[in-house]
Amino acid sequence: MNQQVRTISELDRVIHEPGRLIIVTLLYAVERVDFLYLLHETGMNKGTLSSHLSRLEEAGYVEIAKTFRGKVPQTLLRLSPSGRKALERYRRKLKEAL
Amino acid sequence: MYDPAGIYAKHPLWYNNIDGVGELGMGFMLLGLGLLGWLGIHAPKGTFWNQGYANLIFLGVMSAVIHYGNKAIKQRITYSRTGFVEYRKRDTVWRPMILGALFAILFSFVLKEALRPHRDLKTLAAVVIGLLFTGSYAYSIARTVRWKWMVVPVLALGFLTIALLPADLVEAVANHSRASGMPPALLGICLLSFLFYGAVLLVSGAISFSLYLRHNQPPAEEAQ
Repeated sequence: MNQQVRTISELDRVIHEPGRLIIVTLLYAVERVDFLYLLHETGMNKGTLSSHLSRLEEAGYVEIAKTFRGKVPQTLLRLSPSGRKALERYRRKLKEAL
Repeated sequence: MYDPAGIYAKHPLWYNNIDGVGELGMGFMLLGLGLLGWLGIHAPKGTFWNQGYANLIFLGVMSAVIHYGNKAIKQRITYSRTGFVEYRKRDTVWRPMILGALFAILFSFVLKEALRPHRDLKTLAAVVIGLLFTGSYAYSIARTVRWKWMVVPVLALGFLTIALLPADLVEAVANHSRASGMPPALLGICLLSFLFYGAVLLVSGAISFSLYLRHNQPPAEEAQ
């Protein structure tokens, strides 16, 4: 197996999925956002977005906090330090492979 | 190398002005500063507007109105329609501070050059201020929304017109005074540039705000 193929096979599969890559990339640029922002920005439906977020939370890449804005429930999302490192590693490897 | 992830990571930063409120705030600030300068120069001596504390009060009130107005619009309108974003300190504190310092250095360079008597003070100042304002609009606002590129030539044309105004007229705007030790021509150019750029930002921000309200409906009421 040549070096490029090996690098591609080593890509983080949790982040490599396009939907999750969009979420992680959006979260990378900010401190935190709410669920509505991600829904609006990614164009996904609620179910798909929730499922991707659960997967990212399981991997320890995203921290989810439930809170209230006035009387309205709000879900706040933040990229964890390990999520931040994982995205940086993913981008570096992808650049190497391409 | 093409880096889609890097490009996509800029989207949340562009979101800050999705409702045009950033432009409205900046427009109010520049118009306010222009108005304050105008009043300071044209008001009779010894009146409220010539006092140092008047500037502080005016700036304090203006900053508070912009800050709390921006916050109120975001909380009541934007967050409930398209979501909440909290930015990193790097993007809201450090980068603007560095850009502000660079702007101050450039501006002081212009001032230093302009104070040399043999230079065409008015044109040089207008061209540099025009380039800075038009460039900053193109970089930070126009590239986030396609229709705003139409504003860039308007800005360039406006600043060119200011640069070509007769020196007498520009000095008359500054009431032929040397407030803050600045030559009247430079003072006049600064006032005109601030008022013009502030007005353009207000119009551009107001259009963005009305488009935002039209395209993003308020959340549906919960069923009882």
